[in-house]
Parts: sequence; C-alpha cells; structure tokens
Amino acid sequence: MNISGIMVTALPEHVAEVAQSLSALEGLEVFQADVTSGKLVVVQEAPSVGEEVEGFKRIRAVPHVIAADLVQHYFEEDNELIHAIPDGLEGLEGIRVPTELQD
Amino acid sequence: MHLSRREFIKTGIAASTAATVGLPISKMAEAAAAEVEKDWQWDKAVCRFCGTGCGIMVATKDGRIVATKGDPAAPVNKGLNCIKGYFNGKILYGKDRLTQPLLRMKNGKFDKKGQFVPVTWEQAFDEMERQFRKTYAEKGPAGVAMFGSGQWTIPEGYAMNKLFKAGFRSNNLDPNARNCMASAVTAFYSVFGTDEPAGNYDDIEHTDTMVLWGANMAEMHPILWSRITDRRLGHKDCRIVNLTTFRNMSSDIADLEIIFKPNTDLAIQNYIAREIIARDAVNKAFVDKHCIFATGPYDIGYGMRATDKYAYAAEKDTQAKELKVTLDKYEAIGQRRKVGDVVEQKNTAAPAKHWSISFDDFKKGVEPYTLDFVAELAKGDPDEPLDKFKTKLQQLADLYIEPERKVVSFWTMGFNQHQRGTWVNEQCYMNHLLLGKQSVPGSGAFSLTGQPSACGTAREVGTFCHRLPADRLIPNPQHRAETEKYWKVPAKTINPKIGSFYAKILRDLEDGSVKWAWVQVNNPWHTHPNANHWIKAAREQDNFIVVSEAYPGISAKVADLILPSAMIFEKWGAYGNAERRTQHWRQQVPPPGQARGDIWQTMEFAKRFKIKDFWGEQKLPGLKLDGYQDNTLPSVLAEAQAMGISPEDNLYKVLFANAENLKVKWPDAVSKGHDNHVAKLLGDGWFPEKAMWNEYQLFGKGKGKDLADFDVYHQDSVRGLKWPVVNGKEVAWRFNEQYDPYVTKGAGFEFYGKLLKAIPSGNLDGVTDPAPKSLAGKAKIFFRPYAAPVEQPDANYDLWLSTGRVLEHWHSGTMTRRVPELHRAVPAAVMWIHPADAQKRGLKRNDLVWVESRRGKVKVRVETGGRNTMTKGMVFVPFFDEGVFINRVTLDSTCPISKESDYKKCAVKVYKA
Repeated sequence: MNISGIMVTALPEHVAEVAQSLSALEGLEVFQADVTSGKLVVVQEAPSVGEEVEGFKRIRAVPHVIAADLVQHYFEEDNELIHAIPDGLEGLEGIRVPTELQD
Repeated sequence: MHLSRREFIKTGIAASTAATVGLPISKMAEAAAAEVEKDWQWDKAVCRFCGTGCGIMVATKDGRIVATKGDPAAPVNKGLNCIKGYFNGKILYGKDRLTQPLLRMKNGKFDKKGQFVPVTWEQAFDEMERQFRKTYAEKGPAGVAMFGSGQWTIPEGYAMNKLFKAGFRSNNLDPNARNCMASAVTAFYSVFGTDEPAGNYDDIEHTDTMVLWGANMAEMHPILWSRITDRRLGHKDCRIVNLTTFRNMSSDIADLEIIFKPNTDLAIQNYIAREIIARDAVNKAFVDKHCIFATGPYDIGYGMRATDKYAYAAEKDTQAKELKVTLDKYEAIGQRRKVGDVVEQKNTAAPAKHWSISFDDFKKGVEPYTLDFVAELAKGDPDEPLDKFKTKLQQLADLYIEPERKVVSFWTMGFNQHQRGTWVNEQCYMNHLLLGKQSVPGSGAFSLTGQPSACGTAREVGTFCHRLPADRLIPNPQHRAETEKYWKVPAKTINPKIGSFYAKILRDLEDGSVKWAWVQVNNPWHTHPNANHWIKAAREQDNFIVVSEAYPGISAKVADLILPSAMIFEKWGAYGNAERRTQHWRQQVPPPGQARGDIWQTMEFAKRFKIKDFWGEQKLPGLKLDGYQDNTLPSVLAEAQAMGISPEDNLYKVLFANAENLKVKWPDAVSKGHDNHVAKLLGDGWFPEKAMWNEYQLFGKGKGKDLADFDVYHQDSVRGLKWPVVNGKEVAWRFNEQYDPYVTKGAGFEFYGKLLKAIPSGNLDGVTDPAPKSLAGKAKIFFRPYAAPVEQPDANYDLWLSTGRVLEHWHSGTMTRRVPELHRAVPAAVMWIHPADAQKRGLKRNDLVWVESRRGKVKVRVETGGRNTMTKGMVFVPFFDEGVFINRVTLDSTCPISKESDYKKCAVKVYKA
C-alpha cells in the first residue's frame, strides 16, 4: 500500500474549486483546505506501485493548481516494493560482465 | 465513529502532512496521527542525493524504515521533498541489493576470468590483501589507488584518507567529486585562497536577480528551485535569467533565456566585464581595497594525454590537439593573436600558474569582447535573430550592473564540467568583484554542488590526490607537517608527491602503472567519459579491482571482488552541503545480510597490515625534491620507534583504534537507543565515527573551517550548522565583517584565505617580475580569454552531444532505479534532438538510433518533445541508464587546471539503428 501526503497550493480564490476537482479524482481524498494560505492537504492512495507518480502528475495538471509538493510517504505495508524489481534491471544472477561490455 | 485501518492510516498521514507544512489540525486527526505512528520511531536525517542537503525525517519500526517526510524544522527545505528525496526510504530495499561479498572464482580459487561466487568477508579480505601486497611489492605506493566519493560520509572519507596517505603512503586517492566540482575548487583557491562559497541559500530570499549559468536547477536542485520560484512570485522586481545551451525546465519561469554555443560563456562573461568598465560601473572603493588583477597562460592544453599511444585510430585527431591547436577567428580576436596561428600548448605541466597585472592590462584584455563580437560568437540558436540576441546580452549586463540591484549567480556542471572550467568559474567572481556584489546578503557568485557531501567530505576532508584536511595541500611541506602532527605519525610519513587524479587513475590502470584499485560509494566505470578504454583496462589487464557497492552497477560488474556496503540510514554519518552546512544522522536500521559500512571495511582491511609494511623505505618513481633521495620515500621506522610506535604494530591500532580514540566509548548517550553496527563489529568498545570526527575537527580549528562538537549536531534542536562555527555561532556570509569573525575589525571585507597569496607580477603576455608579492586579504580578478572547444562538430560527426542528469534519477541509477516509482517514471534514457535535426535524418520520436563518436557508440530512442527543447545542432542524452551507456561516447578531455572532465561537449553523429 502506497499512501502519500501531498500539499497542494492554489490561490485563495481557487481553493474551493481545486478541492472539488481533486476530490473527483480516483484514489484521492482532500483532508484539509485552508482558504487563507491557499494550502490543501490531500492523501493519495495508489492502486498499484508505479501509479503513485502518475497520480502526482495528475494533481499538478488540475486547473489552478500552482504547486503540489510531496510531504509524507508511507509504505509500511508495501509488499510489492521488495518483490517487484523494475523491468530491465538484472538481479543477482546477472552480476557478470554483460556481453555488450566485453567487446 | 469507526474507521477502517486504511482510512485510519490515511487520516493519520493527512494530519502529519498538515502538521509538517504548518496547517492547524483537528483533535481527532491529531489522535489518528498519533495512533498510526505509535510504534514508529522518528529521527532526523539528511537526504541521500544531491548537494542541496535537505533535512528529512525517517520513521522506523522493527528494524525497517516505514515512512519518510520532509523535515519541517530544516531551514534548507522547510518540510518539502523533491521526488527523489521523497523516496529516500525505498532505496534500501531493492531486490538485487548486494548482501554478501562476491569474488570471481574458478575451481575454488580467485580467477580474473571466473564468475562471481559468494565468499565470506574473511575470504574476501584474504584475496584483497594478497593482491594488494603483490602490487605494493612490485610498484610501491604509486601502484595502488582508491576511487573515493562526494557521497562518502565525513568519517568514512576521513578514515580512508588517513589509511591511504598516512598508512599506505599513497596519494592515489581521488573522489568522483573531481568530475563534479573540481573546477569550482581551483577557482576558489585562485580567487579567494580558500575553498567554498561565501554565501548561503538565504541569498535566494534576499536577492532581486538570479542568474543561472549552466545549472538546470528546476530538475537538478528542485527544492532550491521551489524557493527561487517563491521569491520570483512574491517579489515583483525579481528577475531570473537562464543561460544554457538548450531550453530546459528552468526556462519556464525565467524572465530572460539566453541560448549560447558551448564554451562561449567565457566570452559572455568578458562582455559583461567590458560593459562594467565601459559604463564606469566598477565599484572602485571595493576593488581598490579588496582586489588585485591577474591572468595566466592560455596554451594549457585540454587535459588529455600527451601521447596517442593508447588512442584509437579515430581518436588521434582530437588527441593531437593536446600538443598544438590552430586558432580560429574568435580565439584569435579574443586572445589578441592571428587567425590560423598554430599554438603549441606549452603550459600543460603548470596550467594554474598566474601573475598579477594592472587594471589597464585587464581592461586591454576584455577590450575585444564587444557586443558585436560576442553576439556573433555566442548566439546558440541559429533561428534567433542576431539583434534579439544582442538585446538579451545587453539586458543581462543591465541586470548585473544596475547599482541597487542585488544579484546571485548560480552554477553547477555547465561551468564545472568545462574544458576551461577553472577560468569560467573565475570569470563569474570577476564580475561580482568588479561590482562589489559579493559576500553580502542577496549578492554573490554561488557555486552549487551536485553531491550530498562533495563539500563536507571530498573538499573539506581533502580526499583528493593533492589535498589534506581543511584547505591543506600535499605539495606544501608545512601542511604535511601539520597533518602528520594531528595524525600522530612521524615527519615525512606523508608522500610529498601529488598522486593520480580520478581520470589519471583510470589511465594508470590502462597503462599498467596502477594495478590495484578500490572503489567506494561511486561508479567510475559507468560515469567516467570514454569508458571503453577503462572497461578494457579492468577486464583484460592484470589489474585487481575491488568495488564496495549496494547494488550491482557497471563498476561492480567489471570488478574482481564486490564488497556489500551498508547504505545511508544503515550507518552513522555526516554530510556537508553547498552552503557549508554540516549535518549528522544516526544509524536508523541495521544493514541487510552481510552488508557493512564502508568505514568498517576500511578499518577491517587496515587490521591486516603492520607499520613495517609501509613505513620502511619505499620506491616512488618520479619523486625529485629537496630533502628526499630521488625516486624514494624515506624510512620513518626509527622516528616511529622514538614516538613509541613499533614496526610490528598493527595499522588499525596506530591509525584508528589508538589509545586516544579508544577513550571515545560506544555505547554513548548521544545514540538515544540507536544502534551502531560498525562499533559492534569492530568490537573494541569505541565509537569510530565519533572518534574520527573528534580527530578531524582539530584540523579546521582557528583556520576558518571550525566545526562544532559531534554531540552538538545530534541535539534535537540542531538542523546542521554552517561552518566556520565560532563560539557556537555559525557564519552566514564569509569574508564580510558583519557576519564573519575571521575578518579583521574595521576592514569591512577581507578575503583572508591563505593559499596562492603571493604571486609574481607581469602583463597580459607574461611575467615581468618573478619575485612573489603578497596580496594577503585580497581577492583576485582574473582576465581569462575565450577558448574554443577542443572537439567540435564537423562534416562527419555533425552534432554536439551534451550529457547530464534527469530529475528522477541519481547519477548512475544504482539506487533510484531500484525504486519502482522512479524507475517507471523514467525507465530509460532517451536522446533529445531538435525535430528539424531528426527530420533531416529521417527520424521520428521513439525511433531507435545509434549515437556515435570517435570513441564509441550506443543505441538510444529518439525524443523530440518533453522537458527539454534542443537547440538545432545539439543532442542531449542523460547518463543514469546503464542500458544507454553514453559514457562510451563522451570525450575524456578535462579542464587542465582542475582535471575535471567536460561532459557537455563533444562531436557525434546520429543515424538509424
């Protein structure tokens, strides 16, 4: 489970609208929206590893969002983390000189 | 109200996020946060990646990191994280983490051609020792070498520096920081006589103008960039200039974007200087009191070998320019010589020498750099009208010169990785000093760094082949003597001959002069340019390569022995960032399997040797120095005996676990329940990281490099301290009386650095009076001319190639590519190219192409859009991806003064694969 605490910044006059747009996005919950400072606290739960970053890009694309900063990252129960080695990276068995380096 | 566990956790994360950024939170949310985190132990730490030095908080539970967040109390980042920083906790947990020593073996024995087989630490050290002794017996101290790092913790770098220089008496220890900021260092030395910036990050909030010279901060220093963006949006007169060779993300909020041709930053700086003089804007009071003018030779080569013996046939034409070059039109004008002159490079052996000149000579030097001349030379975008480019240059000069306007210049690799890197750094100070806009809040030339401890470890500890701690230099007999005193080793233990710099160690491995090398915390075979040579040297020659690593990168794969290393939060450590801030952290979690801290590896290896192995007479080819027998390091065994050190004493006991250090006990109250696997494994009841800190601290005391006590940095209220820390107070702006206690009262400013402060005098053409004159307390304003890049596009190799980083990945990707999120965000390197250049070659986005230079070629996919917009005639390929091994293509030319490689310009061709 990947859960991120994200701070979103918008102009005070757009906070309500931004909060609404963000709430409409899947996996996203707006916990706080502070009109005075233009800051919103949202929590994103990524359905799978890798979609966390995509989701973050999605937030930045919301109209009137000036900035989205990652603040807290929780991955206690992220079992995928240790089991999913990214494609294209070799494992331990691969620790030998790749043929392309031997020429 | 009933919450599911997941909802509960999310409420807790939200509350914690709100608290971090300073928003009020409800009682219920507070309770949820407390409940979620009830078994967690939070502790302050520092980010593993770039030179910004952000504070992060790390939460652990049952020996595992469960969460990280930006540290709200950290003045650098105020609770924010960039995307790499955000994933600090995950880099420890990649599936292919190295957890046991691996040795190449066949039939149960080491074999260079064997496959990696897991071995015990004992077996690993046995082979490492056997190979070390073989090479040392054959070649002496010059035959062994160490690739160190700007990612070493301070105690790690200190310990290895001591083992090599005092123990092995070898100066062949050089960090990857050589390829990152050596040009910044040589300019700090030549201009100020002491290393590292005068200002600090608060300059951002004080300034009106930020000029980026070859620094794509939006991607490479994102947190500083968010502070810059805030300043730009919150201060209406704030202006941002982005000087670059192609459009990058930093242009998005720039008020002025200047696209220039490679190397012409040298000419643009001289244009600004000429304008300062022409507009009568020189701050005479400041310059007269605090500066002198200087210059040096132009014919200094390009940092390549003098011989073409090792060059491939295709490389020989570029390599021949190391000996002589034919001046083009622009060099001829800029250097006041004739077009077509063939200039022998006569000063390659002493490229750093310089002498004072008069202001009139300086003025004569910059005189050719008129707007017309510089605009024609420097305009990078062929489609931009010349008049528009001229207007931009004038606007740039206006921003620097406007009397009330504060200006900060930022730079990183665009200046540092440059065939004239030292010069272009010096030129930046030239303009700030001429204007008196230096060492005051909001004004100054600010050299940023790329690595988390390039400053703290590589530079301050002096883990270079020519340096010793705290601005001391190997060739200086007094500096060696002081170091020997602090290290409690006999006089003349330290080898007086400068060792091999990073590129030279690789060249030495190729030509057989070095045969044993150890790598810690960096990846030379991936990151050093012209890599095909070095791969061959590692794999096909009788060399023994040891690589301490966390993940199997290219260097590990070409090694003979791999040692599994503990990563950042698995050990105690300290880093120093670009604003002189030193930050410490505790071990948070144990290293996995057999992985061990680098400092444990260093000390454990030292245990295998005795004093008599090194402190007797040693051969040292090339040593010729008063007080020394030619080609020989003297025996210091008798002096050692007199000091109570026996030839039979163990190196570990003499250098590390000596009587003084054994008094620094582990466990220590400062640990607050945190463990120390290094202390436990060494088992003598001492606290190695703290003892090393205590020793190291002595070097800077009273020398302008004062550091606080170990425990101070670990206090809950402290988030690092900017040195010099004098009477418990940090220094915000160096050389300025208002802030810096080292400045003489009443002086206003004083550039008190001690190095290179007595020089001959002369004119633009050379020395006229060789007698060195003192210029204590003053900075030097250098005249440096334009010089053309050594390799330029031609009919065959018709494009410029530049390389660098991307936001999501760190260096060679060994850590960040193990974080699935980062890997998936940018899984592979691509080649950015201008759409017109692509079309001309019949290429479209995503096509697979070869990028080929005189040195090698790689396959990569084409990108014509995205975050970079290429200038016509130039391609950019990031270097993080070992599958797109771009350093097989790059040129290993360096700044001849700093010996830092230029990754930003060489000639390539691109064609369909």
